[in-house]
Amino acid sequence: MTVLTYNIAATLPHLIDQRPYKGKLTQAKKITATGISEAEAIERAKGGDAESFEALYGLHKRRVYSLCLRMTGNTAEAEDLTQEAFLQLYRKIATFRGESAFSTWLHRLAVNVVLMHLRKKGLPEVSLDEALEPQHEDGPKKDIGARDNVLAGSIDRVNLERAIESLPPGYRIIFVLHDVEGYEHNEIAEMMGCSIGNSKSQLHKARMKLRDLLKLSRAEKAAR
Amino acid sequence: MNCQQFQEVLPYIIENGGNEEEEAHLRGCRACSELVRDLKYIAEQAKLLLPMHDPSPRVWGNIEQSLQREGLLKEGRSSRLGHITNYSTSQTQTKTSTPIGWVLATAAALVFSALLILYRPQLPSTQPSAQNSSVPSAQIQAGDNDDQQVIAAVAQDAPEVRHAYESGLREVNAYIADAQSVLQSDPQDPGAREQLLEAYQQKEMLYQMAAARSLP
Repeated sequence: MTVLTYNIAATLPHLIDQRPYKGKLTQAKKITATGISEAEAIERAKGGDAESFEALYGLHKRRVYSLCLRMTGNTAEAEDLTQEAFLQLYRKIATFRGESAFSTWLHRLAVNVVLMHLRKKGLPEVSLDEALEPQHEDGPKKDIGARDNVLAGSIDRVNLERAIESLPPGYRIIFVLHDVEGYEHNEIAEMMGCSIGNSKSQLHKARMKLRDLLKLSRAEKAAR
Repeated sequence: MNCQQFQEVLPYIIENGGNEEEEAHLRGCRACSELVRDLKYIAEQAKLLLPMHDPSPRVWGNIEQSLQREGLLKEGRSSRLGHITNYSTSQTQTKTSTPIGWVLATAAALVFSALLILYRPQLPSTQPSAQNSSVPSAQIQAGDNDDQQVIAAVAQDAPEVRHAYESGLREVNAYIADAQSVLQSDPQDPGAREQLLEAYQQKEMLYQMAAARSLP
């Protein structure tokens, strides 16, 4: 632990500011580790104040890094992307006018950094295109009459995190953006450059895949 | 409507609810109703996932170097990482001079120490399994008492954030319980170990923040 923070909003912003675009805590109320408000830190950072840069990093690093990690499923990539997101933040901070919450702005910036990176790798587009085509493995189940045991009550976070990690990248990104991070389909469609219907379809397939993965994991556990 | 037709429109049913025919199928079909329940449950559980991971310290080091290289930092101002850490440490020292601060800081230290002792890598043959399984539940009990103390102290000092601490502790305890449950079935699971450590670190941080709140 490198930086200790002494404000619950600073250390666990998700408790109060669970969804980036639904933030209930204004930036003026967030307090950084050094005791200045987030709004003050932003203004100082615009002037190149090193301490304020670091204070903003301390406030938001966990959210940004967790987002990058969940979207990429890879620690090294997530660290690189966190670094890139904060660098872009500092380069662009002078343009932040406060029309939206700072966390929303930063979050969107981080999502764009990850998406740009993934586009370069050519991963999400493949899956998005695939979403337009019927897929045998992900389509409606043929054994739909078979009785399933419901998952309710049996998912633990460790397994859910793991299952999300093992989703195909295209599914994972939409699932993380919608179900974990709380973006709406129209926002996802805009960010991903796809249609809203496409985003919905991907999300559904991601949840179906997760269901299979979680059931498999449960069956494996039971067989041990 | 059969199951195939129902599942083709399922994404829209989950989002917007179904029409009469779809609702009727859902009521009458066990497989489809279980599927819908599962998918909704997955979505609900995903919303409860927290940003649990911290980047390694080298990330900030790299950022700082890049900022300096690009001239984005004011001249003469260098890293405050050490400064902030020292500042925090000195605050910790001050806060422990109050009785509540002492209690909370001690509780945090005890919980964290217990974690380190209990979950350091162990040789499989050195601990009888019965002993292994009994210790975590005892620790959970101790943790509950500590949590109550922390919440009571926060409520006394800053009632407006009591709820945030309660839900924070509840969520982090749920993570701990999940990771412990996975570790009970597979003690060598590296993912669960890592998550358990991170959850305890979050809990320790919550305790420390609560202790800091008790400052006069």
